[in-house]
Amino acid sequence: MTGNDDIGAKLAAAACALLGTAVCAPASAEESTNAWSIDSSFLYYGESDGRVQDVSAIVAAQRDFGDQRKLSATLTADTLTGASASGAIALDGPQTFTSPSGRATYTTPAGEVPLDDTFHDTRFALNATWSQPLAELYTLSAGAGFSTEYDYRHLGANVSLARDFNKRNTTLSAGLAWSQDDIDPVGGAPMPLSQMLDVGDQSHKLGSDSKTVLDVLVGFTQVLDRATVLRVNYSYSDSSGYLNDPYKVLSVVDPLTGDTITRVPAEEGPTGVYLYESRPDKRAKQSVYAEMKRAFGARVLRVAYRFMTDDWGIDSNTAEASLRWPLGASSYIEPQLRYYTQSHADFYRASLIDGEPLPQYASADFRLGDFDATTVGFKYGHRMANGSEWNARFEYYQQTGSIPSQQIIGNQANREQYPDLSAVIVQFGYRFGF
Amino acid sequence: MNASVSVRRGPCAVTLVRDRDHWAGRFVAMASPCDVLIEDVVSQMQAKQIVDAVAACAWRIEKKFSRYRPGSVVWDINDTAGAVVAVDDETASLLDFAATLTQLSDGRFDITSGVLRRAWTFDGGARIPSQEQIDALLPLVGWNKVQWNRPSLLLGPGMQIDFGGIGKEYAVDTAAALANRAAPGVSCLVNFGGDVAVVNARQDGQPWRVGVERPDRLGSTAEMVSLHRGGIATSGDSRRFVQSSGRRYSHILDARTGWPVERAPRSVTVVADTCTQAGSFTTLAMLQGRQAEAFLKASGHQFWIQ
Repeated sequence: MTGNDDIGAKLAAAACALLGTAVCAPASAEESTNAWSIDSSFLYYGESDGRVQDVSAIVAAQRDFGDQRKLSATLTADTLTGASASGAIALDGPQTFTSPSGRATYTTPAGEVPLDDTFHDTRFALNATWSQPLAELYTLSAGAGFSTEYDYRHLGANVSLARDFNKRNTTLSAGLAWSQDDIDPVGGAPMPLSQMLDVGDQSHKLGSDSKTVLDVLVGFTQVLDRATVLRVNYSYSDSSGYLNDPYKVLSVVDPLTGDTITRVPAEEGPTGVYLYESRPDKRAKQSVYAEMKRAFGARVLRVAYRFMTDDWGIDSNTAEASLRWPLGASSYIEPQLRYYTQSHADFYRASLIDGEPLPQYASADFRLGDFDATTVGFKYGHRMANGSEWNARFEYYQQTGSIPSQQIIGNQANREQYPDLSAVIVQFGYRFGF
Repeated sequence: MNASVSVRRGPCAVTLVRDRDHWAGRFVAMASPCDVLIEDVVSQMQAKQIVDAVAACAWRIEKKFSRYRPGSVVWDINDTAGAVVAVDDETASLLDFAATLTQLSDGRFDITSGVLRRAWTFDGGARIPSQEQIDALLPLVGWNKVQWNRPSLLLGPGMQIDFGGIGKEYAVDTAAALANRAAPGVSCLVNFGGDVAVVNARQDGQPWRVGVERPDRLGSTAEMVSLHRGGIATSGDSRRFVQSSGRRYSHILDARTGWPVERAPRSVTVVADTCTQAGSFTTLAMLQGRQAEAFLKASGHQFWIQ
């Protein structure tokens, strides 16, 4: 018989001649098992009153190598601008602060909650995960991630193993994730509970710092019937190292009036006494997540609940629901609703009282306070004849926080202390394969 | 006004059902159950159009190239053996392809070898023809005895051709291409009695799973093949063989000798870019007899051999 090398090429050429070019795209078998699927999206997040705005572009690529071996990679670029609350309280007069760099000041008008508006950053993140069957019924996934921004670098790795049982109707999984984050704050990391100093005085600043996070995850997925899937996850997360936000401060206030103690800057500097926050250098979080998806014909209802508790005293509950509703053969709409509520950290305080001994830990970061948040939104998707899909998502987020009443002193009661926050999220996505 | 409408029933019926994540169309053609699976990204109407197009294609090719059907192209060619006939483009392309397979198999494969079936009846029985019977037929076998100058074909008197081993695979690829024309980009699996082609990868990233039958256990599937795109074909003697004096004679005949290929595998399944290529590889491999496995290994294709 003719040499084997030739046969494949001659057969391919003969098949091409027989079937026409429409049928025989070159080397389609190679491509077929190595098809890429790309999910790209553009997201805008904008908070009310010109606070944080985030614009991000996300490209997620997945390549299937056949036999359930998959590589997925996600590249994210985002730009953050705007202002965020510094932790200092509002006053009846203007307040001047030294910016994090230690080289300039900014001033908050009378009656307003101080925002640090020198805040902007660009972040790039890359994550990659490989998954493959390990043995019959076992699937192994391993991934690594990296992200970098001006003052922060993250390096992470994770591995998980899943085992199917019960004719693949039950899956148990266990995973470990580890990350090492280096923080190199603008102007250096301030010593915890040190005072905000005049421009040019860096004596309270240290260099960079780091933290390590270890996550352990155990999951259980059960197919309940042909239309219903239940998933329950438990996770334990242990963080240690530098867990402060280097840009957050607390106002030191008069025990009777509740007003910030004033100070006279040498040349340029803060007009009040503000101390940088101090958080514990360890945090252990536990969370339980349960999700149920049920199909009612072509419509799919998803309900999920998460409870999180940590040793900082924060408990949070999240409940969410979404319903995917097909519109014709190629479009769908998916309304979404989410409610979140959290209690404050043990060391959360709106301000520090002059003359009282300093606590070991204190933070006025609103994100560690009591708040509720409701998100309503919907997503619309359309599948095109060529198989690609585009979708648009719109969400409205409303957050309402409060400060424990016993922490509100004197004049503070007359001023806004925990401003409401609203935000819109708009996302456009396009998914295609090649 | 009276109008009479004739409705085609029975074997020409097409059914369409919705399965978990795809539409499944079924009909019968070429004496085989045929399936069209369409990823669930199209409407029922579009799915119906695709299945109808595929079924129409299968029936057209069956009608055109069946050697048993009076008036088919193959019937006419065989009926006028001894005289020159001019054939259409599609038939000419199939003849060219068959000639290539004959050349690649050094004459073992031959579309004129069908007359040997007068001596061989592969019905699982025990009747072995005599060498005399075979010798009497061999003068009618051999592409080298045919004058082929596209589009003119001249068979010697008494010679016959058939497109067994090519026709069904060709129909699968042609139907799959039609499905893609009816719904560009939509992933479809076309299966005519175990010969399979998939056009377009599925949008959910999952492969189609195709079961490969084991010859010793008809109806049971031994192996699941994951296919994103491309073709699968199987050649085997699960149903067609002769067993005599403890020897099992495969239905794969070596056209040069008129005898079955010795120690041919019972079944060969190959995955290739197209169903036609996959089918050609299974045929060429079977004709290799005991060297079939080595031949397939060297081809670099995914294969199963039993």
